Amino acid sequence: MGYFIDAARSMARSMRTVFRKPTTIQYPAEKRDQGPRARLTFALVHDEHGEEACVGCLMCEKICPSRVITVTAGDKRPSEVTGKKRGFADDFVLDMNACIYCELCVQVCPTDAIVMTQDHMVPGFSREDLVLTMDKLYANETETTLSWGRASNLLEMQDPKRGTEEDRAATKQRAGAKPAEAEAAKPAAKPVKPAKAAKAEAPEAVVAEPAKVEAAEPAKTEAAQAEASEAKPEAK
Amino acid sequence: MNAIHPIVLHGLIYGGAIATVLLTLTAWGIWFERKFAGRMQSRLGPTLVGWVGLLQPLADAAKLLQKEDLIPDQADRTLYLASPPLTVFFTLATVAVIPFSVDVAVANLPIGVLWILALGGLMVFPVWTAGWASANKYALLGGMRAVAQGISYEIPMVLSALVPVIFAGSMDVNEIVTWQAEHHWLVLGPGLFAFVIFFVSSLAEANRIPFDIPEAESELVAGVTTEYSGMRFGLFYMAEYLHTLVASAVASALFLGGWNGLFGLADGIHWMLAKTLALFFMITWVRWSLVRFRSDQLMRLCWIYLVPMSLALVMVSALWVYYEPMLGGH
Amino acid sequence: MTLASAARLGVDPHRDLTDYDPEADLMVLNMGPQHPSTHGVFRVKLYLDGETIVRAVPYVGYLHRGVEKLLEELTFVQATPIVDKNDYVSPMTNEQAINMAFEALLEVEVPRRARYMRTLFAEMSRISSHLLWLATFGIDMGGALGGGTTLFLHCFRERESILDLFELVTGARFHYNTHTIGGNRHDIPAGWAKRVHQALDLIASRVDEYLDLSTKNAIFVARTRGVGTLPAKLALELGITGPILRASGVDHDLRRDAPFHAYDEIDVKVQTEQAGDCLARAHVRIRELSESIRLSKLLVDGLPEGPICGGRPIKNPTQFKAKDGQAYVALETPRGELGTYVIGGGGNKGASPYRLKIRPPSLHALAAMPYLLVGGTISDAVVILGSLDPIMGEADR
Repeated sequence: MGYFIDAARSMARSMRTVFRKPTTIQYPAEKRDQGPRARLTFALVHDEHGEEACVGCLMCEKICPSRVITVTAGDKRPSEVTGKKRGFADDFVLDMNACIYCELCVQVCPTDAIVMTQDHMVPGFSREDLVLTMDKLYANETETTLSWGRASNLLEMQDPKRGTEEDRAATKQRAGAKPAEAEAAKPAAKPVKPAKAAKAEAPEAVVAEPAKVEAAEPAKTEAAQAEASEAKPEAK
Repeated sequence: MNAIHPIVLHGLIYGGAIATVLLTLTAWGIWFERKFAGRMQSRLGPTLVGWVGLLQPLADAAKLLQKEDLIPDQADRTLYLASPPLTVFFTLATVAVIPFSVDVAVANLPIGVLWILALGGLMVFPVWTAGWASANKYALLGGMRAVAQGISYEIPMVLSALVPVIFAGSMDVNEIVTWQAEHHWLVLGPGLFAFVIFFVSSLAEANRIPFDIPEAESELVAGVTTEYSGMRFGLFYMAEYLHTLVASAVASALFLGGWNGLFGLADGIHWMLAKTLALFFMITWVRWSLVRFRSDQLMRLCWIYLVPMSLALVMVSALWVYYEPMLGGH
Repeated sequence: MTLASAARLGVDPHRDLTDYDPEADLMVLNMGPQHPSTHGVFRVKLYLDGETIVRAVPYVGYLHRGVEKLLEELTFVQATPIVDKNDYVSPMTNEQAINMAFEALLEVEVPRRARYMRTLFAEMSRISSHLLWLATFGIDMGGALGGGTTLFLHCFRERESILDLFELVTGARFHYNTHTIGGNRHDIPAGWAKRVHQALDLIASRVDEYLDLSTKNAIFVARTRGVGTLPAKLALELGITGPILRASGVDHDLRRDAPFHAYDEIDVKVQTEQAGDCLARAHVRIRELSESIRLSKLLVDGLPEGPICGGRPIKNPTQFKAKDGQAYVALETPRGELGTYVIGGGGNKGASPYRLKIRPPSLHALAAMPYLLVGGTISDAVVILGSLDPIMGEADR
């Protein structure tokens, strides 16, 4: 009967899987390749002068949809390295119990101070263990592998003026053009090559990435975007 | 010592030994099933407890023992408490007449096959009472389905088990095995269809996929065992695997030649164990590859297909045995 | 039962039985919110005559989290990670839906590359969603310990490869927050297209395996053929869209009929079946899976160059403001038509929407439950619920 034949076929299929290599990755003995953009826990970084990059602007606190960040801004005082007056953060608390890993705090930081990491957060036995205090966040800077994603990289990627002139013209034309003209204006599909340099640079970017102390205005990134995207790291 | 009758002594010693062996086989049968199921699903099974997870059954037993013993308030206490041990009891008692080697059986009853089938039939009761006594609608439904399935599939099981009896001319299981040793294994000859029907009916009796409607997790939470926790649940769990092993042992004895060896190699308990474990492997393989039947489809399969087929098989075997000498058989 | 016949009988299948005929001897079984098979927290109260279901009353709302109200407090730029969690099985389409609605309201244009990327992500999300559906359907049929789980783990193995691809692009495996107003936030890294082709080829080769364990299996077919037949008229009356509607014979797919983003540049072959039972729905979804694999390959090869974001990148929670205006945008998710209706002019000086309403396809699918379950057994109830593929996160929001 049909049942037997189909049963035999299902059974043959299961048996074939027995002889394949299992797909289990035995964590923590083996680790999965997560890619450089993984967003797992947080770190606060120091800028190129070795000083804390966080200026206490509270943008991350304002944008967080889950309201897990609490920043206590300190008084504006002169920097010990450059001598210029800048803001500081007296305290920075990030509650991982409620974080939804949306990366918005990283996106809005004007000084690339808060970044996410590629390593998992260390689990704890109580809720307090999962609250990242300022010293834990600064410790993560050196103890974990930082992710590629930080404000300046992301903003550069999202710059609306990025891409070739031809593309921009075609998009504009397409928006207001008739269908026949829009067809002609479509550029040919080219192989993907954006952000390649940034991906390749990511391992070094952890240490060598000069974090901007001033706000990253679109004008700055536009100047950097005048050439192709490969020139990006040097242009900073 | 001389106050104990030799048969009773024989029964106690052999029974204790066979029961111990079977229960150990059950525990490590569970380990094997989990590893094999894992491999069929492209993953590893238990790996952490002991080398390749061999101590996992012990870990499971320890876990079940330390759980809270809950008895629902409205449950029928006597039936609730009695059901898990009874399932194990009836299953183990079935093994009494199975010969594991030449004349190595707990008891050589002349009505061995009847004993097996009768106790297999009694197995339905504790499952049913567990469902009733749990005071839980899911368990009740599971119990009702188990009864319907259990009593329906007994008929093809009994009829197909009659085929070896007809061929060997006796209900003594040891004699059936001896007959197979002298002539040929029943499965290699006219008993093939009977073996298939017996196998399928045993799957249904043991509530194994594709016939596991009484304990269908996705529909009935845990079916009959919903309200059981801790070692009581452990007993049900063990009884299920034990029933599978016992059904494999019975099928090996009745159809596969029991302790009889292949290719003229020496007979012995190793053959019996090998065949039992081979059938257990088949049952596991079936379980982890197929989806389950719906209860009415299950009933259809039994009453419309298996019962007439097994009836016909009994008649054909009887005619075969009668006419064979006249046609110059072996 | 159709709506018309229910009206004639004076029966409202969605209202509870307040008194029942004691002579009828019905048993009330609550397939409660916690259950190994109801997809998410969904409760259906069954009135059983023996094993036959005489009446079924569904209850939703166990996963209601007040998403629409929350979004009135949060601003436009903060909405995407919240809405991710509605249809948590295909998060890309949720993000796309809400950002399309905001773009329509705020009149922000999406560049061509972003349109293609969004469509590609949506199609890959469709593949992963249908794989998950097939996996859970297997468990519903075969049990958590048994052949259904084998199908489940096979499907999840392939789904992992898609999630890994998304992780390479966005950094997150599951809730991405990669769409933004005006486009996307993460661009595609080098070498990604090749990996997409590898993963999709692998899945395409494994579809045969799934079929062996499912629609080509006689037991599976016996469990699903003729079960839960949904007439096309009833489906249309209840507002059901997506694979369920297509399985009942109605040829309607927003990707082809009301194309958005890159769908107007590619040709979507819409899969339909006539029978309307669970088997037809299974066939439609599996064929859609193959079709999505084909579309994804086309899209990833044809990705144009250009910027990925047409609006200003997010620097400030209140950077997008809308004084007034309304927009309704509908797109085709793996479950059907997901509609987002947004009215501007809310709090935070217009940086929040005044009202955001999400039209979830799963809720309409669940509305068919009282009609489909009557006359079957509990086993059928589980299979029917599985074939409707409801996701309670979006049904309850």
